[in-house]
Amino acid sequence: MKWQQILGKLDVIIPESMRGPVDLSTKQRNYRQLKALLMAAMLTIALVPLLMVAGLSYYYYKDLLVNSEREQLEWQLDGATNSIEHMVASLKSAIQFTAKGDRYGELLDRGNLKTLLARMQYHYGFFADLGVIDANGIQQAYIGPYGLSGTDYHNEQWFREVTDGGVHISRVTTGFRKAAHFAVAVRAIDPVTRQLWVLRATIDATTLQKFIDTIKTAATDDVFLVDDKGILQTSSRFYGETLSQFSQEIPAGIRSGILDDGETVFEAIGLIDDTPWSVVVLKKHYLQQEEWQGFKRKLFFIVFGCMLASIMVIVVLVEKLSDMIRKADELQLSMLKEAEHTNKLASIGRLAAGVGHEINNPLAIIDQKTGFIEDLLLMGDEFEHKDMILQNLEGINSSVGRCKVITHRLLGFARRGENTLEPLQLNDVLVEVLQFLENSMVTKRITVDLNKNEELPRLISDKVQLQQIFLNIINNAIDAIGEDGVIAINSYEVAGDIRVVIQDDGPGMAKEVVAHIFEPFFTTKEQGKGTGLGLSITYGLVKKLGGDIVVHSQVGKGTAFTITLPIMNNQHEDADEPETE
Amino acid sequence: MNPKQNESNNALTGSNMKGEQQERIRLLLADDEQEFAATLLARLELRNFEVTAVANGRDAIAAVEKEMPDVMVLDLKMPDLDGLEVLAQLRRKFSELKVIILTGHGSFEAGREGMELGAFDYLMKPVDLNKLIEVVRDAHRQK
Repeated sequence: MKWQQILGKLDVIIPESMRGPVDLSTKQRNYRQLKALLMAAMLTIALVPLLMVAGLSYYYYKDLLVNSEREQLEWQLDGATNSIEHMVASLKSAIQFTAKGDRYGELLDRGNLKTLLARMQYHYGFFADLGVIDANGIQQAYIGPYGLSGTDYHNEQWFREVTDGGVHISRVTTGFRKAAHFAVAVRAIDPVTRQLWVLRATIDATTLQKFIDTIKTAATDDVFLVDDKGILQTSSRFYGETLSQFSQEIPAGIRSGILDDGETVFEAIGLIDDTPWSVVVLKKHYLQQEEWQGFKRKLFFIVFGCMLASIMVIVVLVEKLSDMIRKADELQLSMLKEAEHTNKLASIGRLAAGVGHEINNPLAIIDQKTGFIEDLLLMGDEFEHKDMILQNLEGINSSVGRCKVITHRLLGFARRGENTLEPLQLNDVLVEVLQFLENSMVTKRITVDLNKNEELPRLISDKVQLQQIFLNIINNAIDAIGEDGVIAINSYEVAGDIRVVIQDDGPGMAKEVVAHIFEPFFTTKEQGKGTGLGLSITYGLVKKLGGDIVVHSQVGKGTAFTITLPIMNNQHEDADEPETE
Repeated sequence: MNPKQNESNNALTGSNMKGEQQERIRLLLADDEQEFAATLLARLELRNFEVTAVANGRDAIAAVEKEMPDVMVLDLKMPDLDGLEVLAQLRRKFSELKVIILTGHGSFEAGREGMELGAFDYLMKPVDLNKLIEVVRDAHRQK
């Protein structure tokens, strides 16, 4: 019940043209509206999910790409950080190894220091100079390209750091040397004097640059080092040469940034332990540019293709569907019209039968009274006007005769009881009917060409009604021919039906006449000759037997009635009747 | 009957009267339409039939039981007993009884049913008197 209520509510949305089947009273369905509605509904059903799926794939795939990119970048950052830390560690250990505590005295000697630098340069290649600084910050010995011997470092920040922390790695600066470099300083304690001293090695910044260049890969767009103040320690593709300003803040981690030219990039920053440096790895968005573009292209083609295909299918489908609905409607309407016509004929028939009943009995009385008066007059003597009276009585008689024909025909409509069905041979019925009509045909010189199919199966039908049907139609043919003519009768089997064609070579009928031929009281015969009921009754009888009757006629050629009768009579009228056999 | 009527009888019944000089046929007419029955009775009597008229089914059965007519003319629609029922009852008791159905309400089916119940013939009102007489004589001959 509830479900039906919901469906009932839906009726409000659905326009009238789509509700229910057509009938005779409703106005014509609006097929254009129907088509538009069908189209809209089907397009919605087909395209909305498609677009939704496409949109979801677009955003999920994009998300996936971004995440995998970020992951990859994290990886690269880790790698870069590790290799730089490794490099720094080895650098530190090399210098720490050199600055053994007890070598202070030894290294103050320029010759020894020079040999050491030469050996280190031989092993590592990138040491620029070497200095030994005492506890007061005075450079006691120096080997290198600059004359820095005796420089006082005790106020320098790095000197304090190295004396406190043991190791110091400096930012890249130009410093006294006027060339980009950085320094690694280590603290040592002279075991004899218990004095601390510092060995400081300067390394050319190009060394750092070379190292960074080796860890750059095709997968990254830029790798460089910055110090804690945001100054570039190596050169950058996007931010300029060494010692240019990169940014004020250097937070570790991965974030999106925007380049000067508006391109979005991933910016990964990792701190290098024990140094003032951070490594920065830059990567433009969508390393998998190709992949992303390819995906977008494929997605577009698939979505576009599907849309095109479904629209085409829907257009064709809607066209066919609305066409089918239109045809079904037309069929239904014509069937309804036919049913209405049949109903009309049936109710006229009932009315006619009623009128027949009511008039027939008084007519019988008039008939008898007239006859009685005639009897009396014939027995009595001659008197004035006797002939005139007899003449008028004759007139009454002939009128009664005419009325009688009509009332008897009208009574033919009265169908008391049901069909009495029995198996019978249609050919036998035809022969019987023809025997009945033989006399009148002989006088009118009408011959019958009976072409009966001897293998005709027996059919289940009502014999008396069949007789009446054929009697009416053959009589009709005789009347149509008048005199001299042929009536051709053919019987044959057609797909479970038996068909009888009765054809005369009379004058034929015009189309307008054919259209009304089965209507009661429609007649073409001259007044008084026909009641206009014969074919109407015949039509009713054929329908009642579950058959069909069709008429074809051509003016000047003749008329053919085709009667089709079912072999198995299973009409609903008999459904509730018990089988007789 | 006066001689005049007898003379006229000959005029109405025609040559038949002379050809087969017959005993008068005894007819039972069962019809509820008084005007019709009375007129038909008068006309048949004019034609030398001995006619008894009854107006309903029970009287009809009673009349047959009392005195067997030669031929019975039976209407189908009567107030108490339907003509077909009367026919069925009478045929059961008196199988030799000749019954001619004469009805104004007839239908094809009713006629056929009557014939199946053993009626001699089936006629519809209004009937030509000569036709009725012909059928009555036929029935009588076959008795």
